[in-house]
Amino acid sequence: MTLDLVIQQLVNGLIVGSFYALIALGYSMVFGVIKLLNFAHGDIYMSGAFVGLIAFSFVGVWVGNGWAGVVCALLVSMLAVGLLGVVIERFAYRPMRNAPRLSILITALGASMVLNGTALALTGGRHFAFNTDLGFAGLDVSAVHITYTQIVLVAASILLMAGMQAFVSRTMYGKAMRAVSIDMGASRLMGIDVDRVIALTFFMGSALAAGGGVMAGAYYGSVHFFMGFIMGLKAFTAAVIGGIGSVPGAMLGGLLLGLLEAYGSSLPFVGSEWRDVFVFGALILFLVFKPTGLLGRSVVERV
Amino acid sequence: MVVSFKRLACATALAGLAMTAVAAAADIKIGIVAPMTGQLASEGQDMENAVKMAIDAANAKGGVNGDKITTTTADDACDPQQAVTAGSKLISEGVTAIVGGYCSGAVLPTLKIYGDAGVPFVIIGANSTKLVAANQGNAFLANSTGDMQATTAVELFKKNGYKKIAVIDEGDAYSSDLAKLTAEAFKNAGGEIAAKETTTAGEQDYSAVVTKVKSSGADAVFWTAYHAGGALLTKQLRQAGFQGGIVLGDGNNSPEYLEIAGSAGEGVFLLSPPTVDLLSGAADFKAKYKDAYGRDAGAYAALSHDVGDLIVDAIARAKSADQKAIIEALKASDFKGLAGEIKFTDKNTLQTSNFRPVVAKGGKWVATE
Repeated sequence: MTLDLVIQQLVNGLIVGSFYALIALGYSMVFGVIKLLNFAHGDIYMSGAFVGLIAFSFVGVWVGNGWAGVVCALLVSMLAVGLLGVVIERFAYRPMRNAPRLSILITALGASMVLNGTALALTGGRHFAFNTDLGFAGLDVSAVHITYTQIVLVAASILLMAGMQAFVSRTMYGKAMRAVSIDMGASRLMGIDVDRVIALTFFMGSALAAGGGVMAGAYYGSVHFFMGFIMGLKAFTAAVIGGIGSVPGAMLGGLLLGLLEAYGSSLPFVGSEWRDVFVFGALILFLVFKPTGLLGRSVVERV
Repeated sequence: MVVSFKRLACATALAGLAMTAVAAAADIKIGIVAPMTGQLASEGQDMENAVKMAIDAANAKGGVNGDKITTTTADDACDPQQAVTAGSKLISEGVTAIVGGYCSGAVLPTLKIYGDAGVPFVIIGANSTKLVAANQGNAFLANSTGDMQATTAVELFKKNGYKKIAVIDEGDAYSSDLAKLTAEAFKNAGGEIAAKETTTAGEQDYSAVVTKVKSSGADAVFWTAYHAGGALLTKQLRQAGFQGGIVLGDGNNSPEYLEIAGSAGEGVFLLSPPTVDLLSGAADFKAKYKDAYGRDAGAYAALSHDVGDLIVDAIARAKSADQKAIIEALKASDFKGLAGEIKFTDKNTLQTSNFRPVVAKGGKWVATE
């Protein structure tokens, strides 16, 4: 591998990794609080991209198709899809809270299919163009071209994740969230409104996924109903690698997974068709040998 | 369409009155099988119109071998079961020859019916290689089979001076076959395959593949899969600063490609079937078609018109309405139409590919020459 290739794959890995990390955070937070693998999370990401595209086409008329438009679309989508997450939790998951774990897992699959099927029916399976004016201008580091969009994108997702980490570790609501994740019953006795904390967790997780969806839509320039499927699986893998239930773990897992993909597929004698083999191979290895993930020690204590 | 129907009806009625049973028995009847209902009804309508236009023109010149030609249309609705019914109907009506067929799936089960009846059948649109294997010798494929695209691709690479090509597919049967065939053909023609990559369908990030392509030193990329991935790949290649050529397989022939790729799509080549808008010599035909039927000629109208001409030409060369003689005449075809040359191999497929490269300019596909 030449130096250029190393730098290029670092850039590639960081970008796709920050998408994984944003989605993985939601997985991890929800799992931490109610021990549910929310399989609808990938579809929340997809919904975020569509809501963002719709918002973008409206606000684009006033503020243009540049950064201002994308940021507006991002905020609108995060708010709307955050609420969608709350609604899904209220109607699909809350009635099942005391049901066996398997029932709620199946409900999550159902929620995923409802979102996916609705998007398919509404869009007819079309791929929609998300055309921005962001352009390809950027910096050249030796032979590697890094666009400003890429830099902003990685910075924005790190900012969002850092904000989330600060919220969980520094605020009263964050403290309540951590309390609920450790012992729901005891939290209720201590006067914590558990339902509200869970709703808040869903709102924040879904908003982050929606943010990822809008950024991915604007960056790749295309949005379609199936985009959440692979993203959901990979974000789940990232959450497992980082230690499911842990906020910094999800970030680390996402970035590591992105880098693993990028460098794995540029190994000699290995084609890009092997990329997913690395990803899901890593998932299996972690599940077998270190199910708590890299930073998931707190889960062990908890259980 | 209404006009031509009336004219045809008038002509038949007059002929019937004047010569009674003799003329009717000597008439040559061509069966047209196409999807007249369902999702692809518009394509079927184009096929019927364009074939009839060719037949009308032949009748206006006095028919073929002194006989008038009539047509009868059967609707296969692009559905295998309905296609079998439609095929049986045409056979029971005693047609001399059959033209048409848009969907390979619907054409496949009818090959046996036509084959057993020994009726010459010229397939217009359908082009699966499965049809070649199921052919009993009476059917002819007037459209290039999918694999002939590889030939056109290699010609395009050579014409543009590409020496090292990166071939990328999506791992499904269609795109990986095309990738393999093209890679082999290009190597045989003295070219070099710099990289052969596969992406995952539904994936949005192609950066790993893009990086490999860039570092492989390829002059050009050939993408054999479909428009959704093609648009993303094009964008990401240009974003990463790839300056070489980009060539797309026929699965990318969609307006969505141009929408999503945006300005990154400029100058990209697409291998297209001979659709009427991209044929340089078809302007006159388009105007006449619009005049006659009050609608724009659809993608396969030009090829359908060619097949109408071809069957008349074959009957003329057979010098009779004998079906065996017509099949022999079709085998010996040497025909030049709007959509290109029609000469058949010993498997009754086209000798030369009718795929043609087109290029994206100003957000539209335009002919290259």
